[in-house]
Amino acid sequence: MINNTRTSHEIHATPPGDLAIWFFIFAELLAFGVFFVAYAFARAHNVELFNESQQHLNRLSGAINTLVLITSSYFMVRAVAAIKQGYSILCARWIASAIGLGFVFLAIKMAEFHEKFSAGISLSTNTFYMFYLSLTLFHFMHVILGMVILAAIMLKARNGSYSPANHTGVETGASYWHMVDLLWIILFPLVYVIR
Amino acid sequence: MSETFTKAMARNIFYGGAVFFFLLFLGLTFDTMQTLPKRDHRENITDSVVRGKHIWETRDCIGCHTLLGEGAYFAPELGNVYTRRGGPFIKAWIAAQPTGAPGRRQMPQFNLTDQELDDMVAFLKWTSEVNTNKWPPNIEG
Amino acid sequence: MQFQSQAVAKPYFIAAIGLFVGQILFGLIMGYQYVVGDFLFPAIPFNVARMVHTNLLIVWLLFGFMGAAYYMIPEETETELFSPKLALLMFWIFLVAGALTIVGYLMVPYATLASMTGNDILPTMGREFLEQPLITKVGIVIVALAFLFNISMTVLKGRKTSISLVMLLGLWGLAVFFLFSFYNPSNLVLDKYFWWWTVHLWVEGVWELILGAMLAFVLIKVTGVDREVIEKWLYIIIAMTLITGIIGTGHHYFWIGTPEYWQWFGSVFSALEPIPFFMMTVFAFNMVNRRRREHPNKAATLWALGTGVMAFLGAGVWGFLHTLAPVNFFTHGTQVTAAHGHMAFYGAYVMVNLAMISYAMPMLRGRTANSGPAQTMEMWSFWLMTVSIVFITLFLTAAGILQVWLQRMGSTPLGFMAAQDQIMIFYWLREITGFVFLLGLVLYIWSFFCKKGEAQTAA
Repeated sequence: MINNTRTSHEIHATPPGDLAIWFFIFAELLAFGVFFVAYAFARAHNVELFNESQQHLNRLSGAINTLVLITSSYFMVRAVAAIKQGYSILCARWIASAIGLGFVFLAIKMAEFHEKFSAGISLSTNTFYMFYLSLTLFHFMHVILGMVILAAIMLKARNGSYSPANHTGVETGASYWHMVDLLWIILFPLVYVIR
Repeated sequence: MSETFTKAMARNIFYGGAVFFFLLFLGLTFDTMQTLPKRDHRENITDSVVRGKHIWETRDCIGCHTLLGEGAYFAPELGNVYTRRGGPFIKAWIAAQPTGAPGRRQMPQFNLTDQELDDMVAFLKWTSEVNTNKWPPNIEG
Repeated sequence: MQFQSQAVAKPYFIAAIGLFVGQILFGLIMGYQYVVGDFLFPAIPFNVARMVHTNLLIVWLLFGFMGAAYYMIPEETETELFSPKLALLMFWIFLVAGALTIVGYLMVPYATLASMTGNDILPTMGREFLEQPLITKVGIVIVALAFLFNISMTVLKGRKTSISLVMLLGLWGLAVFFLFSFYNPSNLVLDKYFWWWTVHLWVEGVWELILGAMLAFVLIKVTGVDREVIEKWLYIIIAMTLITGIIGTGHHYFWIGTPEYWQWFGSVFSALEPIPFFMMTVFAFNMVNRRRREHPNKAATLWALGTGVMAFLGAGVWGFLHTLAPVNFFTHGTQVTAAHGHMAFYGAYVMVNLAMISYAMPMLRGRTANSGPAQTMEMWSFWLMTVSIVFITLFLTAAGILQVWLQRMGSTPLGFMAAQDQIMIFYWLREITGFVFLLGLVLYIWSFFCKKGEAQTAA
């Protein structure tokens, strides 16, 4: 079904982007999913410790980061829409803005980690901090990986390698980036807020 | 473009995924190396413990026994044998082998000197003090 | 056989099967020692028999992998091997070194062997699966480097297919992670931590790349399915393998002194490890169902399908059974581990080697496939060996569960030997089944000499 005139409103019959990335997304969601279940399981056995430790997390920076990632995801939507209409440079700019917000996320997160590490908190402090650090650091690495993927796509877009007929690469990167966003949207309330 | 599934993307995911998770593994390894001194009590590794480990290896004890659950499953777990039996028993036991009881599993006679037996005990004592997250479940190993 | 130099694979395959027989014979000796404890004592103590059993396994699988590489790579790269002479020289060096090592294990007390072979200079011996004397280890590295040089040069001058690249990557990984066998700190916890970098990252990491490449090669040949399709699935499957398997190493870091968080990381990621094996099974059946030709070698197809199923059962299901930390707390270091080990090694690495040998050997002997009766005999051997390994696994699992129950649970736990006495019946059943396995192996070898019927030569 090659359709050069399709719009951003079109509903996909198959997942957007390359099917291969969906295997990766599937594996990542599964790994995080099992980790989230493990968190719930561990918390149920130790509610007080979890609630007490949770008090010390910086919910404001977590909330800001949620907005940052959602906005960045929106920029990727615009990037896909741009390339569907053939605007390569515009697409590259939207991707660049998404990456820029990725850096903002990393900076805020690093300030948060710095505060925790300076307080002598590590993976072995207690079960809550084990989960907090594991999940957020694991997610942190995914943000970096996502930014690397987006950077590669941005360079290709700038070189004019994509077109309305051939923009699978942009959709592939956008799909991965949305996953990174989605994971944070689950992670933030789960670890920072819910008690 | 109803379905796109390219070999190039599959390959990128393989390389990317492998590198990503290996880096994560290295990160966790780094943290483990920082944490281990508090758990393995390496300050207690005396020359005697070092010699004991060497004897443990050169007699291929792991070919019958388990140590912290790893090894062969033909003979008892020895990670906690020091707490189970105590030093003097271990020395006497090794010196008395084989039992020669017909049809029973036999341990070879290694002709260890008294010094070597002490080293062996020192190694097993140090091992029994490693923080193993409360494994084994009970004293029987 | 499309290229002359592929012929060097033949001695590798023959040696592999020969050593396989040795491995099984020593397995039977050990199985008997489990029930009659003083059998062959003190001539062959259990630890010596076990060393021979496991080392022969590793060496024959390596022979199989190398033979497979020498057979596959010329065909994949569409060029003759860089140096068939080097390949043959390395064959003899590896065989003689391997044989001398085994003779050393059997003839000389281990401590004497250690001091004779320079273990005091760099102690590396006496750790499970890595019992080889220092000179043997160095020999393995030299042979592996010469082999890799030979294969890499061939790939460099020829067509670079995904299968050959994955195979090459797996083989290089094999050599690199073997280097950790030279690291033996006096701190046991560190020793164990990095010991797994060889052992786990071999069998649940780089060896699976080799396995995947070999399976993909055989599937392309017997099904005629488009290379593009097979290769992209190969990438996805091995991607899943490494995504789950690398951090999956953590399931060995529960109780050896390593931090507690490994219980979570190890459990989560190794719980996902069955996925790539399941995909491999589905993949193999799918490709065979979508076959575009009827290859006359039915036996090879059977082995290839069997690899998928048995690797999934042995590595995937039996691995998952005891990989979660709360379960492993009780099963760690019991017969449950032995059960898993037997089926996983057979299902994944033994069977993929036999699939490759089954496909390549007729070609190396100048025919497309063996005669009908020979193939029937080979398929009988497939079923005898596979069904007996399933039963060996079931008996060992039963023994393991009982062992856990008697020795580690309840208010009055039994001592180790008292518990062993209670589960003796399962060791007897295991040993008897072991003889059925041997029968299957004999039949397998016999099928090579079956003169009945006409071999198929038409391509």
